[in-house]
Amino acid sequence: MASAITQYLSSPRVVFPAAVLLRAALLVYGTFQDAHSPVKYTDIDYFVFTDAARYVSRGQSPYQRDTYRYTPILAWLLLPTAWGGWWFSFGKVLFALGDIVAGWLTILILRNHYGMPMARAVRFSCIWLLNPMVATISTRGSSEGLLGVIVLALLWAVLEQRIMLAGVLLGFGVHFKIYPFIYATSIIWWLDAARLGLPTTHSTQSPIEKLINHLNQRRIDLGAISLITFLVLNIAMHHIYGSEYLRHSWLHHFTRLDHRHNFSPYNIQLYLNSSPAATSSLHLESLAFIPQLFLSAIAIPLALAKKDLGATMLAQTFAFVTFNKVCTSQYFLWYLVFLPFYLPNSSLLSKPWLGMSALVLWVAGQAFWLQQGYRLEMLGLSSFVPWLWLSSILFFLINCWILGIVISDVASSHVSPSQREMKVEEVG
Amino acid sequence: MKQRLTYILKDASTFDPSQLKVTKDSIEVTGLDAAKEQHLTFGFDELPPKIWRVLKQCHELHIRWAAPVPYNAISPFLSRVSSGLHVFFTPRRETPANLLCPMLRNFDETLKCESPEKTFVPQRVLSERFSTSSSFSYYTPTKSLDSLESYIFVQFCDILDLHCQEDVYQLGSARYVDIDFDVISNTLIIRAYWEPSHKPGGWTEITRLQKGSTLEVGVLNNEKPDEPEELKLGGFLTVVGSDSKPKATLFSFPARYHPLPNVSSTREIEYKVAFRQPTGMHPIMEINLEPKSLLAPSESCALHTYLTLPSYIFIDKYQFNDDLFLASQNLRRLHSINGETDLEAPDWVIDKWGSNALFELALPSTPAELSARWTVTIPLHLRYLKPAHNSSGIDAVRVPWPAVFWACEAEEGLKMSTSPFDRVNLGYDSLFGPKTMFYPIPPGTAGWWNPLVETLSVPVLDLDRSSWVEFGTIAAISLGTLWICWKLFAAVMGGDKGKASRGKKRQ
Repeated sequence: MASAITQYLSSPRVVFPAAVLLRAALLVYGTFQDAHSPVKYTDIDYFVFTDAARYVSRGQSPYQRDTYRYTPILAWLLLPTAWGGWWFSFGKVLFALGDIVAGWLTILILRNHYGMPMARAVRFSCIWLLNPMVATISTRGSSEGLLGVIVLALLWAVLEQRIMLAGVLLGFGVHFKIYPFIYATSIIWWLDAARLGLPTTHSTQSPIEKLINHLNQRRIDLGAISLITFLVLNIAMHHIYGSEYLRHSWLHHFTRLDHRHNFSPYNIQLYLNSSPAATSSLHLESLAFIPQLFLSAIAIPLALAKKDLGATMLAQTFAFVTFNKVCTSQYFLWYLVFLPFYLPNSSLLSKPWLGMSALVLWVAGQAFWLQQGYRLEMLGLSSFVPWLWLSSILFFLINCWILGIVISDVASSHVSPSQREMKVEEVG
Repeated sequence: MKQRLTYILKDASTFDPSQLKVTKDSIEVTGLDAAKEQHLTFGFDELPPKIWRVLKQCHELHIRWAAPVPYNAISPFLSRVSSGLHVFFTPRRETPANLLCPMLRNFDETLKCESPEKTFVPQRVLSERFSTSSSFSYYTPTKSLDSLESYIFVQFCDILDLHCQEDVYQLGSARYVDIDFDVISNTLIIRAYWEPSHKPGGWTEITRLQKGSTLEVGVLNNEKPDEPEELKLGGFLTVVGSDSKPKATLFSFPARYHPLPNVSSTREIEYKVAFRQPTGMHPIMEINLEPKSLLAPSESCALHTYLTLPSYIFIDKYQFNDDLFLASQNLRRLHSINGETDLEAPDWVIDKWGSNALFELALPSTPAELSARWTVTIPLHLRYLKPAHNSSGIDAVRVPWPAVFWACEAEEGLKMSTSPFDRVNLGYDSLFGPKTMFYPIPPGTAGWWNPLVETLSVPVLDLDRSSWVEFGTIAAISLGTLWICWKLFAAVMGGDKGKASRGKKRQ
């Protein structure tokens, strides 16, 4: 029985139709629930996107909609939702299609760059393709899935050494959701001379020569192209929507108070210090970006990127989300998409008890937090201290522990065979 | 000063003209079971400088205060606002009204009012032609006029003038008080209303004509009106000083507010408001309506509720876009929402006083439902409040009961303002056209102790128990950061070792 299931999950002819069917079923169910129940299946954010798209269709600014904090491109993409009727679900279909493409890219990368046979690659892609959480989030109309496809396409383009495409995707990703900028360091670090089949550094070289060597053409190209893409998009959006674009898509993210409870360990501290009751003059939480960016954008890429780019991106994203000043469950999708590149060689799989403990703790940490959140939001109990605080700190520490395992695993993994093969090929 | 006293008898059959005694300069009433309205008009030059300095900054100022207790409203004094202090204001173009907030603080020292520009909310007007509405609104849930009373005592009553003190004391016991000023008439009008049986045994009092003023007293009762849009009053009018005895009178006038027809006791139509327990951070307001209040006075009518929400509580207007959701709450639509509607901000960053919302209510569709009580629910949301000391983590906020009324199309609207008892600038009235008649539904009289203000418990961060939060957070973040740095360090230094041991395992 078990082996039969494994066999089914190894065949793209089964997994892809199943993934499509799962999403189609959820879409139809969601439409049904929305039409017949006052409790909506559709995510509140989707109403924000579609309202914004409606404003755009009338030639107005998407920022007319309160809480629209995204790039106008998202509202443009969803313009068909303003046509009414079934077109309302257009965005959800788009996000669900994004999921499927992300799954396909996962398999492509695993096969071509991790040297994995088709059956095994398909099995690992199921973590994304057949994940009910992923399918639910995108069919409810959250755009996080779309981001998954962008970052996977970025990873694929880098591994394929399509620097132009990679640069455009990186610039676009940062424009779309800011956080993918952390991948710039790992990608650039990964694009070293050896990988590009160029002569490697000799110990006789002076430090300046070494530095120049580090600045190889591909690195410069990637940096320049991504920066240009990013700037062109932002200048264009600013040209069209003016200061509104800057205020909602950018400034909001730097000035928001984030006082409402969320998974972040900084949460209670932010509630305390954003209010007039703040007694601390230090406002140490304003330094929160230091450990976050140091780990996710500098230390992890430098230590790990050359070992395994996909798994490094997982570790980076995991660190970014764990150390962020605000964290909701949708952010977990950001790292989930990279799991298939890390898991095959991980101790979480090779030592099942470790993997199970990590999973159980990760889920239990959230459950404990959710219970405290429920006591606060629904029952009106003052659970801020100690329980809500404690649960977010506990969840943070669990995440740090898991991140520690990921780092050790990636560090001790071999450079993926195909990446090495490619290097040999190019050198040859 | 011009003074007009109107007593509306509860039951005309119990009235005997001997209950009225008129002299040259006074009028005495004895045991009148009646509602009373006192209407004072001051010329601008009669006002003390402290007051006219404030008024000079206003183009229009309308203050409405209503008591937090249910009261019996008798025609033509039927209109109601939510309990608390409402201000409707139009500034003068050239002067900033920096004295208005300090003046309002005489009503309630603790009220949140920085300046009209910052704290007041621009009014939305559905009908531009309805020129009587002012351009800004303000509200605070002030419970009593005690503070205003002592201010007037100290500032304006001679220490030996017992009449002044008594008048002010009586003002404090009114069920509602209106203060109106506008530049065009350049007069300040104070109106106060007391319900019947306000005093045991009815009204027994002497009112004297003061020097340089006029005094007009009416003892009236409601007669059956000849036209559906009119009210008719009959009884006695006396102009003290010129009339030697009360003059019989009978007059009709078009009125904006009417009582619901075919109601024998207000008990039959009272609504009650409660919050579903537990309230949490997303309280659900329940409005319970009696079956008889659900019968439309005429075909063109719709049942409405008008909410007054201080800044700590708000409505998410996007929730009310969906017909199914509206129907599940027994609502028809969100007609208008005005004021501070930010969906994310905590209370301490909100400058405005809050917001108003006008809903049209759905009505029962089956006869079975029509015979039972009807519950309308309105989902609301609380903002995070400031962390507090000595609060055991719970703060309390007050939310006034909303006003509930039928609004109907009237044939003739413009004449309503000719009514001697017309009352406008109540907030919701500016959202309807000028040709609108209102049929207010009275809030429930479960007892005088049951105030028309709900108190909600809001969880807040308890500062007495959170002194270690900052240290604890920093400690945890540092621990996590160091742990990951250590892992990274070990990874960089011992990467090969790991490879070796893994290699061994595979063999």
